[in-house]
Amino acid sequence: MDDGVDGRDTPAEVDATFRTLRRVAVGYFVVFLVAIVGFPLLAITLDWWSASRLVGGMSPGFLMAAFGLYAFFALIGIAAASLSSAVEARMLGGPGPSGDALDDADAAP
Amino acid sequence: MNLPSAAVLALVLALVAAVAIAMRPRGTSTVDFYLAGQRVGVVTNAWAICGDYFSAASFLGVAAAVYVSGLDGAWYAVGFAAGFVPVLLFVAAPLRRFGEFSIPDFLGRRLGSERVRLVAVGVVQLVILSYLVPQGVGSGITWQLLVGQGVAGLSPYATGVLVSTTVVAGLVAFGGMRGTTWTQAVQFLLLLAALVWLAAVVLGEGFRYGDAVAGLSEAPLTNPTLGADGWLLGTEPNQIHPGEQASFGEPGARYGGVGQFALIVTLALGTAGLPHVMNRYFTSPTGTAARTTTVWVLCLAGLFYALAVMLGTAARELIPGAVDDHPWLRELTVDGVLRVPEHALPVLGRIYGGDAGLGIVAAGALIAVMSTIAGLLLASAASWGHDVYERHINPRATQRQAVSAGRVTTLVAACAAAALALSMGPDAFSSVTSSIVATMVTWAFAVAGSALTPVFVLAIWWRGTTAAGAVAGMVTGTALAVAMFVTGTVADLPLVGEVLVTPTIVAAPVAGAVTVLVSRRSRVPDDVERAWSIMHGTAADRHAERLARLTVAEGRRGKGRWRRAGR
Repeated sequence: MDDGVDGRDTPAEVDATFRTLRRVAVGYFVVFLVAIVGFPLLAITLDWWSASRLVGGMSPGFLMAAFGLYAFFALIGIAAASLSSAVEARMLGGPGPSGDALDDADAAP
Repeated sequence: MNLPSAAVLALVLALVAAVAIAMRPRGTSTVDFYLAGQRVGVVTNAWAICGDYFSAASFLGVAAAVYVSGLDGAWYAVGFAAGFVPVLLFVAAPLRRFGEFSIPDFLGRRLGSERVRLVAVGVVQLVILSYLVPQGVGSGITWQLLVGQGVAGLSPYATGVLVSTTVVAGLVAFGGMRGTTWTQAVQFLLLLAALVWLAAVVLGEGFRYGDAVAGLSEAPLTNPTLGADGWLLGTEPNQIHPGEQASFGEPGARYGGVGQFALIVTLALGTAGLPHVMNRYFTSPTGTAARTTTVWVLCLAGLFYALAVMLGTAARELIPGAVDDHPWLRELTVDGVLRVPEHALPVLGRIYGGDAGLGIVAAGALIAVMSTIAGLLLASAASWGHDVYERHINPRATQRQAVSAGRVTTLVAACAAAALALSMGPDAFSSVTSSIVATMVTWAFAVAGSALTPVFVLAIWWRGTTAAGAVAGMVTGTALAVAMFVTGTVADLPLVGEVLVTPTIVAAPVAGAVTVLVSRRSRVPDDVERAWSIMHGTAADRHAERLARLTVAEGRRGKGRWRRAGR
């Protein structure tokens, strides 16, 4: 275990942050689950999803498997990481990462 | 293989070895050997994770799967890429903040139990071996296909297994995590460069992706099979609509309805339990850096797999028309369709880049195998050397002894994997499964996703998780996954068989439920609140970031003083 905890996160702060992050993670996971279960389901149940032709002759189903889902995973990752980091910055560590130390160091002669 | 392709291959391997030597560990501490001093930057770590994760199954296998079964093959790419979303949401940041050496170390400390640690070591070794052996088999096959000659009286297959395992084991034992990180980062960049080059060449020659998918989907999907009368081209039956023929652009060429979901869930949940990938997160400087690293990995994985799917389609579209101009294709194809789908990328490379193009793709395939073997050997060494040797065999070991133990276990694991790969050649299981490489890699994902991921996620997100619950969950997940997988591989059971060979969709929920039920009847560890503060608090992150800023500022001030003194 790292022993670098400086004691400024109280158990109540950590617990509140943990619960918020858990809601964020579960929320995004549900969206993720709906997508990875939903797209194969559409391919199996909707003929239009596999048979119609969109961009350059690809069906919506192939378009998603070729490009769309990877973009979706990246977007979901960026959104979840940004929100989680923002939650931690706001709920933990008192005034937040102000960069005082750096400012002080830069101001020194 | 002739001179140009051999020269490309030798150049690439020399570059990787040079990086390993240049970036060897500077100290003799276990933190340096196993965790690269916990100072690996976000982008470097993302490249290294990609080098670790993209094995031959990703480089040659995804394109081959798309080549042979169209849209159904693309689900492999989707599943592999999806795996990092659960890692980002549930694992990356808290795992790094807890800051241990390996998955067994994390679980053992978090739950305060040596029994958990030892059971986790067993599961981790099973996953590593399941992943390591097919990499050895893959390197043997690659050497057999692309070099075609053995050395010192050995067969080409045995030469490939021994050369790749020996080289990688030497690099890992010498370079530790620091050297391995940089070699894996370089290996990933070379791998990506090979794919980008091939895609650019193919597109430059006039390949139109959308038109190709539309054109290929108009006729029934056909593939060669070896029968009593030799190789024959036959149409693929549709697994979703029995009695109909499968099409390239529609689902059903390989999996039925349930099989599509089972495959994606198995691959998506398996990633979070892969020891060689998870161990890389311990090398990040902070939890936030580990999270950002995963975002980079998601973007890079998307690019990598999108290119692999496109090139699988390109191979299907372009190879039939190239047979007349390239007579060497005749012995590899049946009516323009490749007999071995894993040849798709090497053949495209040779068509558009000649022998040097073949060398680039061959180097990419061997690099993919070698970087994954490196990560697996290091994960194995961390689990044997740190969790077994340092904890149970020699608890008073000095840092030098512990690092030596890590080096020795690396070599032992490499020998064991090479011996198994040599004993089970690619033909050994041909009556049971079409591809031992793909089958065993899926097995590794299945065991990791069924036994480790549920326990891992519960240990991070549920205070009530106990040592007894974790042991019960890991044992249940492993036993159920192995039993289902073996049954599904050996017995030919329609409908149920698809779920049996990709068992995580059943085994992971059962393992999670068992963990919860047993945990509710046993005692929670005493220091759970302290563990919570470390995993979900950011005090250590802020401390590390402050130190880094001060170091940077001090460096700037030092430079300023040096410049003023110079004037």
